[in-house]
Amino acid sequence: MKKYLNNIITSLICFLFVILLNFALPRMLPGNPIAYLSGFAEEEMTSVQIEYYRNALHLDDSLPEQFIHYLRSLTDGTLGYSFKKKANVSDLIGEKVIVTLQITLPAVILSTFLGLVWGMASGYRKDSSFDKTSTTGLIILNAAPSFLLALVLVILFGFHWKILPYKGLSSSSMVPGKPGFVTDRILHLLLPVMTLVLAMLPSRYLLMRSSVRAATNERYILYAKQRGLSDRKIKYHYILRNIAQPFISMVGMSVSMCIGGSLVIENIFSINGMGKLLSDAVYTLDYPLMQGILFVTTGICVLSIIFTDITCILADPRVRYMERGQEA
Amino acid sequence: MTRDRIALLVFGCFPLAFFMVMAFFPGIFTSYGLKDMNKPWLTPSADHILGTNSLGYDIFTELVYGAKETLLIGLASSLFMLALGAMIGMLSTLPGLPGILFNGLINVFMLLPHLITLIVISAFIGHSAAELIILIALFGWVGTARNVRARVIHLNSQPFIESCTIQGFSRIHVIFHHILPNLYDLLLFRFLLGVNSCIMMESTLSFLGIGDVYTPTWGTMVNLAYKRGAFMRRAYNYLPPPGVCIMLLSLSFYFISMAVEARREQIDL
Repeated sequence: MKKYLNNIITSLICFLFVILLNFALPRMLPGNPIAYLSGFAEEEMTSVQIEYYRNALHLDDSLPEQFIHYLRSLTDGTLGYSFKKKANVSDLIGEKVIVTLQITLPAVILSTFLGLVWGMASGYRKDSSFDKTSTTGLIILNAAPSFLLALVLVILFGFHWKILPYKGLSSSSMVPGKPGFVTDRILHLLLPVMTLVLAMLPSRYLLMRSSVRAATNERYILYAKQRGLSDRKIKYHYILRNIAQPFISMVGMSVSMCIGGSLVIENIFSINGMGKLLSDAVYTLDYPLMQGILFVTTGICVLSIIFTDITCILADPRVRYMERGQEA
Repeated sequence: MTRDRIALLVFGCFPLAFFMVMAFFPGIFTSYGLKDMNKPWLTPSADHILGTNSLGYDIFTELVYGAKETLLIGLASSLFMLALGAMIGMLSTLPGLPGILFNGLINVFMLLPHLITLIVISAFIGHSAAELIILIALFGWVGTARNVRARVIHLNSQPFIESCTIQGFSRIHVIFHHILPNLYDLLLFRFLLGVNSCIMMESTLSFLGIGDVYTPTWGTMVNLAYKRGAFMRRAYNYLPPPGVCIMLLSLSFYFISMAVEARREQIDL
C-alpha cells in the first residue's frame, strides 16, 4: 500500500514540476518574457502594445505574485490566454483532447489486451518455434519508428488496396446526425489506431513474455501442472495474478508515450487533434498554447498513473488483505 | 560464445559497419554532391538509385550524407545520457536526504511525458543539433539511472565492498576502484540501448519539424519529403527509405546490446 501511495505522491510532484517548468521557462530564459508569453516578436510591437501585455501578464509584480497569478489562471478554467489565436487556451484544447483520446484510448486498450494474451502465450511455451518467431518479429517491429509504420499502413491500405480512408476523422459529407456517422468515424479511426497499436504492442509483449518466462520456473506452476490443471487455468488464474502488478503499472506509464505517438500519427493522417494543435503552436511560436498542452497532457498522464495504481491496489490480494489485517 | 550470440553480433555489426562506412566515406557510395541539381521527381534508375526529389537532388545521396548526422546525434546524446544516468543513479544511493531527493528526481522524470516536454522546451530554447543532443540526453537518462541504482545497491551489500569499508578506504576510492569497474558491462548495455532510443527520439522530433535543418538527419529527410508533397505524389522511393534506414540502424544497436546482455547473463553477475 505504501508503495502505491508513494507512486501517487511522486506523480503529483511530477505535476508540480511541470507547473514550475511552465512558469519558469519564459521568465528565466534570456530575452524578454513578453515575447515568450504573448508569442509576438518584441521588435514588431509598439510601446503601447508592450505596456498592454506587461499589464495583462502581470510582469511588473514580484515573482511570487506572478506565480499566484499563474496558478489562478490554471484554476479558473482558462489555462492562460493565447494572444495569437485570441482565445482561452482551455477552449482551444478542450475540443482537441476528445479527438486525441478517440485515437489513444482504443489503442491503449487494444495493445494492452493483445500484448497480454500474446506475451502470455509465448512466455508460457518458452523457446517453442511460436515463441521464437513472434519475439523476433516484434523486436523488428519495435525498431520501426511510428511514422514509418503509419506510412506503410497508408501505402498498403489507402493507396494500394484502397479499402480504408487515410485522411481526417470523417468523410467530408458526413455531419453528426447523418445515418452512418459512427461507422464512418470508426472506419477513419481504424488506420491511426492500428498504427498506434503496432507501435505500442512490442514493449508490452516483451515485458509480459519475460515476466511469464520467469514465473514458469516457480514451483507453484510445477505443482499446478502436476495437479493436472488446464493450461488456460494456470496461465490466467495462477501466473497472471502474480505478475499483473508491473504490467498494470507499465500500462499506466505508457499513456504518455501513447499521446506522444499520437502527435506523430495525427500529422500523417491529417487529424485535427492535440498533435496538430501542438505543431501549429510550435510553428507559430504560440507559447501559452504550448504550455497549456504540456499541462493538460501531464494531467492526463498523472491521472492514468493514479488510476492504474488504484487498480493495482484492488487487484493485488496481498495489498488488500494487509489492509484488513491492520484494521482488525 | 554460443551460436546465438555470434548470430546476434553478426546481425548487429554488419549493418552498423555499413552505416559507419557511409558516414565516414560518403564518396564511395555516391558520385553526386548533396546539392547537385537534376530533373525533379525522377523515378529510380541506374543513374539515380532512389530517384530525385522535388528540387532535383539525388535521394540516395541525401540518404548517404544523412547517416553521419544521425549517427553523430545518436552516439553523442547517448554518451551524455550515460554519464548523467550513471551519476544520478549513484547519487541516489547516498544515505539520508540527498539519496531520497535524487531517487525522487528519478521517479519524477520517469513519469514526465518526454516527447511533449521536449517539444515545448526545444520551442523555447531552440533546436540546433547541439541543443537537441543535450535536450534528448536530459530527458532520457532515467532508465540508466534506475539500472545503476539497483546495481549499486546490490553491490553495496556484497562482502568485498564491506571489507573495503572496514579496511578504511574512503567512499570515493571504493566508488572509483570497486563499484565503477563492476558497472562496466551494465553501462555498455545501457549505452547501446541509449543510442537506439536517442536515434528514435531524434527522428521523431525531426519528423515533427523540430530538427536542425542545417545538419539533415534521416528524420529531417522524412519531414522534408512529407512537406514537399512526396506523400500525395505517391513517391515510394522518397518517403520510406530514410525510415527503413533508421529501423535498420536501431535494430543493429539492439542486436549488439542483446549480445552484450547474453554475455552478462553467462557470467552471471
